[in-house]
Amino acid sequence: MFFYILRRIPQTALVIFGVTLVTFIALQIGGDPTYLFVSERASPEEIEETRKMLGFDKPLHIQYLIYLSNLIQLDFGDSLYYRQPALTVILETLPATIELTIFSMLIAIFGSIPFGILAAIYRGKWIDGSLMAVAMLGQSIPSFWLGIMCILYISLNVSWLPISGHVPFLMLIFQGEFIQAFKNLPTTITYLILPSFAVAFYSVSRNARLIRSSMLEVLSQDYVRTARSKGLSEYIVIMKHAMRNAWLPVVTIIGLEFGFVISGVVVVEVIFAWPGLGRTVFDAISNRDIPLVQAAVVVISLFVIVINLITDLVYAKLDPRIKL
Amino acid sequence: MKKLITGVAIVFGLIFPSTYTIAAPPDDTFIVGLPTDTIGLEPAQISSRHTANIMKHIFGQLYSVSETGSIDPNLAESYKISDDGKEYTFTLKEGLTCHDGEALTAEDAAYSFNRVADTDLAFTGNSAGFVYKSIDFKEARADSEREVTIVLGGPNHIALGLIAEVYVHCKDSYEKMSKDEAASNPIGSGPYEFVKWDKGSQIVLKKAANPPIPTNFENVIWRVIPEASTRTAELIAGNVDMITNASPDQVEAIDASSTAKVAKVQGTRRMYVGFHQGPEFAVTPGGAAIQKPEVRRALQYAVNVPAICENLLNAPCTRMTGIVNPNNAHPNLEPYPYDPEISEYLLDQAGYPRDANGVRFEITLQAGEGRYLNDKNVVLAICQYLDDVGVKTNCEILDWSAVYIPLIKEKKAGPMYFIGSGGATWSPLYDMADLSAPDSGPNYTKWMNEEWFKGWKVINNTNDEYVIRREIDRMLEVFYNEGPWLHLYFQPDFYGVSNRVSWNPRRDEKVDLFGATLK
Repeated sequence: MFFYILRRIPQTALVIFGVTLVTFIALQIGGDPTYLFVSERASPEEIEETRKMLGFDKPLHIQYLIYLSNLIQLDFGDSLYYRQPALTVILETLPATIELTIFSMLIAIFGSIPFGILAAIYRGKWIDGSLMAVAMLGQSIPSFWLGIMCILYISLNVSWLPISGHVPFLMLIFQGEFIQAFKNLPTTITYLILPSFAVAFYSVSRNARLIRSSMLEVLSQDYVRTARSKGLSEYIVIMKHAMRNAWLPVVTIIGLEFGFVISGVVVVEVIFAWPGLGRTVFDAISNRDIPLVQAAVVVISLFVIVINLITDLVYAKLDPRIKL
Repeated sequence: MKKLITGVAIVFGLIFPSTYTIAAPPDDTFIVGLPTDTIGLEPAQISSRHTANIMKHIFGQLYSVSETGSIDPNLAESYKISDDGKEYTFTLKEGLTCHDGEALTAEDAAYSFNRVADTDLAFTGNSAGFVYKSIDFKEARADSEREVTIVLGGPNHIALGLIAEVYVHCKDSYEKMSKDEAASNPIGSGPYEFVKWDKGSQIVLKKAANPPIPTNFENVIWRVIPEASTRTAELIAGNVDMITNASPDQVEAIDASSTAKVAKVQGTRRMYVGFHQGPEFAVTPGGAAIQKPEVRRALQYAVNVPAICENLLNAPCTRMTGIVNPNNAHPNLEPYPYDPEISEYLLDQAGYPRDANGVRFEITLQAGEGRYLNDKNVVLAICQYLDDVGVKTNCEILDWSAVYIPLIKEKKAGPMYFIGSGGATWSPLYDMADLSAPDSGPNYTKWMNEEWFKGWKVINNTNDEYVIRREIDRMLEVFYNEGPWLHLYFQPDFYGVSNRVSWNPRRDEKVDLFGATLK
């Protein structure tokens, strides 16, 4: 396993190089960002001075090489808007996104398992039909619409949950304020439920369908029949024998989904005023804050790479036939 | 299976409280819902209105512009101008302190001004860019414990109002702080002291121990709520006291609630269609046509501005008579009425009759999307109105930041383009400074009218208020008759205000919470 991880390091460097290059080109295609950093009534001289101050007067390849050489020294540069190190801005907003991602993934995993299993067990019955209809709906409803509906009906009309905002938990943990963090936890969860649900509803639906089909395949296998004929309870047959094999495709999807969720919660973060990384990157792209976007891309890429690595390791653990 | 279902039910039961009780803000706290976060808290680096609105509560200015347009004492109690008009000497109020307890003296005020111009710190934005360039800032010096002098490159009639945009703080605290610390840990001199900034979430302020101007609420919280419908929901639920940029389509919902109302105000931002006068566009049929003042005047009658305001902006508005906001405008000029018949008649007279297809000439109107209130639909409506009088208008709606802004700033948008320009209530000259010289930054039309630009020479060479006003009115007449703008409207601003507080919006997009009270 150790050598497997070592072998992944050059791949990781290549991926990081690729994503920074693509992001840099994509941001530069939009034209000279200087105009977003000058006053409304800027004179041509002021525009030129600002361009020099921001370093946009240099040729593009020089700008990129300077960025790369700084990146090797783990210097992500300063955010042009916040005038703080880009990595600091990222690390301040990352914990909120991790909270949202983890909670969403928990809902996505633990919401989809019972639905998928139930649908498989009651295949062709009304339970199966109803659950699959809801799953179809979940894959069709856009998260921003679902979020707004949740705010209107769950928060505003019946006041079950807060409308928007965030109460920190992970950030306090990282800062070593454990007592305050755990005091916050119940409130943090109440603020997490609606945005996480809006993010996870699609995943719950997709995973439930996946688990159902995977379970159906496994339940018709000989070893399941053998388990039943040995007189094992249905719970043991499903949870201990069938579920383990049914998990394999689900684990793959969950690994991919982590990356999708961590980088794809922008809309939900905007709707629920969630101060996360997605919103920060979205604003940075609008503001053409290139160092901040680049830093975020590198951090998100690293996250996705690590999650995929963990997925591979879990996969090998679940299926002993797979050698790393 | 039963165990599994029971387990899931217990977990959900534990985390779902039966009803979440939403607490209204405490009586001593005013909460504002903003669409965007502040862009740092560095007093020398302000480049957005929202940031400026927060900063003016943390930092004092020497003088400040009131909601009526008067320029009133703030940290300074008086000022005098040198005979040559190049030096403004301000006398600070007695007993001023910064929020860390340090006494605020003239040396601190001078340091604040000089720091903005420090090239090592490389500030951009409103103070370092626009204000300092406009007043040709040379230096600031402390003449005594309470007297600070701002030295300009030459006399400037709007210098006081521009100086009022610069924030003042103490020297020692800012000398000690690194660039990063200064950008996130403001130590101000204004009525409110900075408590904390949770990025992307909220900025919390508390009343300063020694506020330089009176204020009512003990705490002010600026909550960042990007989505307009979420801001509206928070307002109706009573969780915030005021929201900025309320969406026009949610006005009815807010007004129908028992907790809040919408306050509409005609802003100072002047929305117009520019007629590019540069030779690069004069080679196109439409670009050549709008070189003629007669054609530009004819098109003023073609657009039904009140209908646009009523139907697309959800607010009645006054049509502009020119470049200057109403309280400083020419007293005798009336807005052009909507009269397509006159428009067609004038276009015929100008030598542009309809051809067999009913077209007089073709022209392109460019616009950015997403910056102004319902901008895309406003532009489409204008194109339709122009089509109706035989001017076949090709509407080009572009991405605001990546495409349109570079085009505008490089003066390459056109031959017609739609844009808004921030204005002010405190001086007609501030509004007119968009066209302070043929090559000035915001003269995106490249208008070169001699009658207009010679007016600036008259104004800059006199201190006689009567002569200045007379010249302003003459220039405004030139602008009305031959100007390079199709006059539209002053953009309305919508604020949602909770019924529990009393607060009035200003016309100039500035937010003052100093006079806000609990009902």
